[in-house]
Amino acid sequence: MNRTRVLGIETSCDETAAAVVVDGHEVLSSVVSSQVDLHARFGGVVPEIASRAHVELLTPVVARALVEAGIDDDHVDAVAATVGPGLIGALLVGVSAAKTLALVWDVPFVAVNHLEAHLYAALLEDPELELPVVVLLVSGGHTLLVLMEGHGRYRILGSTIDDAAGEAFDKVARYLGLGYPGGPAIDAIAMEGDPEAIAFPRAIMDDGYDFSFSGLKTSVVNHVRKHPEVATEDVAASFQEAVVDVLVTKARRAARDHGAKGLCLAGGVAANSQLRERLLDACVTDGLRGFLPSRSMCTDNAAMVAAAGWYRLQSDGPSPLDTGASPNLRLVSP
Amino acid sequence: MLIAGIDTATVQVSVAVGGHEGVLASTSSSRGRQHAEVLTPAIEFACRQARIDLSEISVVAVDLGPGLFTGLRVGVASAKAMAHALNVPMIGVPSLDLLAFPVRFTSRLIVAAIDARRGELFYAFYRQVPGGIQRLTDHQVGSPDDLASELLATSEECLLVGDGAIRYREVFEGLKKIEIVEEGLAYPSANSLVMLAHAKALREEWVKPWDLQPLYLRKPDAEINWSTRPSA
Repeated sequence: MNRTRVLGIETSCDETAAAVVVDGHEVLSSVVSSQVDLHARFGGVVPEIASRAHVELLTPVVARALVEAGIDDDHVDAVAATVGPGLIGALLVGVSAAKTLALVWDVPFVAVNHLEAHLYAALLEDPELELPVVVLLVSGGHTLLVLMEGHGRYRILGSTIDDAAGEAFDKVARYLGLGYPGGPAIDAIAMEGDPEAIAFPRAIMDDGYDFSFSGLKTSVVNHVRKHPEVATEDVAASFQEAVVDVLVTKARRAARDHGAKGLCLAGGVAANSQLRERLLDACVTDGLRGFLPSRSMCTDNAAMVAAAGWYRLQSDGPSPLDTGASPNLRLVSP
Repeated sequence: MLIAGIDTATVQVSVAVGGHEGVLASTSSSRGRQHAEVLTPAIEFACRQARIDLSEISVVAVDLGPGLFTGLRVGVASAKAMAHALNVPMIGVPSLDLLAFPVRFTSRLIVAAIDARRGELFYAFYRQVPGGIQRLTDHQVGSPDDLASELLATSEECLLVGDGAIRYREVFEGLKKIEIVEEGLAYPSANSLVMLAHAKALREEWVKPWDLQPLYLRKPDAEINWSTRPSA
């Protein structure tokens, strides 16, 4: 059987990424150029700055991905790009470039849902993954509990009713003066703190699969105001413990209730050490298989886009060349 | 030499293919806001109408702006990808040059003005020279009143062209020795792009895909706010 080499392109937020993946699992190259330094002084991603950087970085990033994959005079067999959800101006750069590459090379173009790509990050590293699995997708923009029943067959079990988990990390880190991005900053400083120092609330812990993090953020602010002498390490550790507690409890419950064979982590917050450790412990206790993509596959990258693109190409065929960006795309259309 | 020209700097998307023989085929649409959806099929269509294969393209030309940022980036990102995939050089031409070029057969001063939104214009002054046009000023960003004062300051007759001139017609119409070019030529066109790029190609004014930069003329809002903050 012919091997299908898919070039994946990802520009939905502040990473410019390109990768070449064979048949949805063999990564030949994965290049990520982070713009985090460009946005750090603003304490968050500035859409116009992100879009400009994508225009500048995309050509060299794609060139490097092709060279590292050993594709010189030849070309790939398909081009996949994230079409949403994400920042409209940023998405359009990747979508436009990907469609043009596909047109010039005369190969299929595949539109990829960024959330679905995150689900495929785990499969990329573990193609034998046995379905159904429950995926906990946690990032700066999303907090979703998804039951993956088959390729392209998802059920959203729960989502956040206010802030995304990563957003809560960013906001609390900013309040504590730990800088941006907040996830790695809190992860690092929490190692030095006591996770049981402060009993922050675990919102709607015992009910359903939905999440809420905005009350937790307020509790952190109130606690620090009332106790200005409190050690930042303890605040960070206790806050992180509260988030991880809720995420792991609900993920376990979802896996048990739906007879899942495994639990899977995805999204930028999946790089959090405490979350990874606790989820793996839970899997051992519950007799589930735990799938933890490596940290570089959790954060935004194009290998997962190429992998998801390959599966979509098998199931749905190519996407039309008049495809645009869909900034509000959902994982499952309502 | 075959040149593909891509222009998405305003509400119009246009693509043309041509070379020594002039423009072989072109297409344009100006329904606005659908640049990414329209552009890729438009490239395919223009090449088919010109009866050439995409692989025959030897230069990719693109409208560099100034213009509407999101649309502009669709064209620039596509043009870079095309040049990269074909392994051919690029040529960038400013949008205001493309507006002035088709109305060059006049002894008057030519003023190209693109609607920059937020009550401002991108504009520049031109004059006809043998074989084309010469830009007399930098690309500028300013209010219609700014441009009106500059027009008053010159004693020459002026021809105003572009969607910016049309949108703020009432500001300019009262001025003496001013004529505004009507809608048919209000947007930059890929036809002019191919012709101007051809002249530049003969002078070998190439740009590599990774060196080509759009002309924004405005900083991102966040940076403007940042630099005007008292603490900055």
